[in-house]
Amino acid sequence: MKVHKLFQRMRFGIFALFGLIVLSTSLLCIRTVDTELSAEYAANSQSIAKTIADASVDILLNRNLATLQSLIDQFLEVQGIRYIYITDETGEFLAHTFVPGIPEAILESDPFRTEPVERSLPGMGDFLEVSSPILAGVAGTVHLGMDLDLVALKIQRAIGQQVYLISILLVFGVLASIWLVNLVARPLAELLAYAVETARRPPEERAHAVRNEKLLERDDEVGQLARLILYMSRTRPPSGPGVLPDQGEARSAA
Amino acid sequence: MDTATHSRPATERGAGGGQLWSRRTLVHSSCAAALLAPWARWANAALSAGSGVSPGAGSAAAPGRQAPFRGAAGDEIVLGTSAAFTGPSRGLGNELYRGAMAYFRQINDSGGINGRRVTLKLYDDGYQPDPCVENTLKLMLEDQVFLLFGYVGTPTVTRVLPMLKKFQEERIYMFFPFTGAQPQREPPYGDFAFNLRASYRQETAGLVENFLATGRRRIAVFYQADAYGRSGWAGVRAALENHGETIAGEATYQRGARFTGTMRAQVEILQRAAPDAVICVGAYAACAAFARDAIDLGLRVPIANLSFVGSENLVNLLSEGRDDPEAYTRWLVNSQVVPSYEDESVPAVREYRELMARHDPQIPEEFLDEPYNPLPQSFVSLEGFVNAKLMCEIFRRFDGEPIRAGLEDAVFSIRDFDLGIGEQVSFGPERRQGLQRVYYTVVEDGRFVPLTDWNALPA
Repeated sequence: MKVHKLFQRMRFGIFALFGLIVLSTSLLCIRTVDTELSAEYAANSQSIAKTIADASVDILLNRNLATLQSLIDQFLEVQGIRYIYITDETGEFLAHTFVPGIPEAILESDPFRTEPVERSLPGMGDFLEVSSPILAGVAGTVHLGMDLDLVALKIQRAIGQQVYLISILLVFGVLASIWLVNLVARPLAELLAYAVETARRPPEERAHAVRNEKLLERDDEVGQLARLILYMSRTRPPSGPGVLPDQGEARSAA
Repeated sequence: MDTATHSRPATERGAGGGQLWSRRTLVHSSCAAALLAPWARWANAALSAGSGVSPGAGSAAAPGRQAPFRGAAGDEIVLGTSAAFTGPSRGLGNELYRGAMAYFRQINDSGGINGRRVTLKLYDDGYQPDPCVENTLKLMLEDQVFLLFGYVGTPTVTRVLPMLKKFQEERIYMFFPFTGAQPQREPPYGDFAFNLRASYRQETAGLVENFLATGRRRIAVFYQADAYGRSGWAGVRAALENHGETIAGEATYQRGARFTGTMRAQVEILQRAAPDAVICVGAYAACAAFARDAIDLGLRVPIANLSFVGSENLVNLLSEGRDDPEAYTRWLVNSQVVPSYEDESVPAVREYRELMARHDPQIPEEFLDEPYNPLPQSFVSLEGFVNAKLMCEIFRRFDGEPIRAGLEDAVFSIRDFDLGIGEQVSFGPERRQGLQRVYYTVVEDGRFVPLTDWNALPA
């Protein structure tokens, strides 16, 4: 015999509680990771743009465009940076990393703008473009495009990993809870079966026929109940309300 | 005999902290420091003035610095080379090497220079900057070569130059790189390199002026998206600016592009600019692909290429196996920095042809990851040949054992030297490029011949 009904609500409660924890933790995690990583990527991009701008000053003043190109090519190896272009003080493109050519949207944009802007370039993807002036803008501007798709992918991956970990904890938590509940339910089921079997027998047979040593030897509450049932089965019903055998009597009866 | 070794990044344990450092990390660190710092020339001057230490002394803690640089000790002079021996541009590295080896073998067979054989320590960089930087570090610190010789390409050389400045106290120089870019011709790195060939600036200026003179005012540029392409682009831009013109249109391609790839997107971009001529700043595989697609798509204007392109390989790609071998090649105009290897009236060309036939240098097997058919003669191998010839002449200028400290003086002693190519070669503190002349060629019957009439170019 199984004790389902008693623990069904408990299992549901545990599952609901864990689910709530997972959901709320995941939402918080998504929001935190998204916000923090996005801000970090933007800050890093801005730093890289400023580094290029600072390093470009002498190169630009020497009009050494091959070295300038070599410089930005190296920064293009940084993960997430998809394009870099440098415009001079007149807005002319002095160096860039676009293949097969500079996109129309970039050609038509304001070359002196230094505020971050999100761009969608056909055939290339979505980008966060940050800019940094060279020599306070009098020598030109560095523009750097961070791949938003890659940033989003990175954020998704970071979130995914956290949610994955929390989900695993949820599964293990629920399984552990079920196992623990079953640990309690099994002796209770045996106790119930013992009580039912005892009840089914005529009173005169109960004293000799019904014994469950495994249950009776337990030193927990289930054992106490089993011994109580056995004691009650062997004694006549008490004459008045509130009269119960003490534990010593029940143990000696067992 | 020359040696050849493949170079691949290796992981090493740092000497100090027990932390694992890859060679690439070391290279990047030193390069980043060297690339960003040298532009402030005054910083070094201030350091030396303040501390009494000469510029570059700060590198004394660099790994391997305790060992003296060799390279010219004993009976041989070891030159270090990192070039493209594999990949889509391997024809350039291979032919430059073969041309140089034809001369070096002749010299070695006849007893060397003052009893010293000239040998090359070779590494393959596949025309990629990072391997080139790693190879150079190895050549300087492990192999301790006497000097760097016969490097190929602007993106590679441009990245190595800061390293020469970093180790400037050791006076290791780069001789005759196969690039006409400006960085090794100008401050802050010009003092660490000696160039023989004319610059891209001279090549592009000549092309632009000749096109403009024949009424072709709308000039577009197709270029490699790196330092080489930018160098050529800047040359075209500057030359047009001198005539009040601007670049009509531009398109780029990724370094390493192959002939089997498409350049249609680039052609379409340039078609919108309706150019009268296109100047290509690239390597032969990509430029051949562009010429093929341009003509197929109806962009039928003269297509000019710089000397770096590898002219013979370009023509081979465009003509081999075609019903009309000149369908594409008739539109080509190539600038060269050496005279035609067909012109046997030039003494150095006669010598080159004879020694190439006699020695027929082969590419070391280590680099032959796929079959390579050497070209009997080419502009690139002729350039390698004259590079080697001048290099040997510089070594002859040493009285005794060649030492790095005497290299500059030896080079500067070259004044009006007749290299045998019809142009006198001179060097000096303000003149670190030996040759100035640019030659223009077109394709006839599958061979490059001098361009004599710019008006006769196909319209």
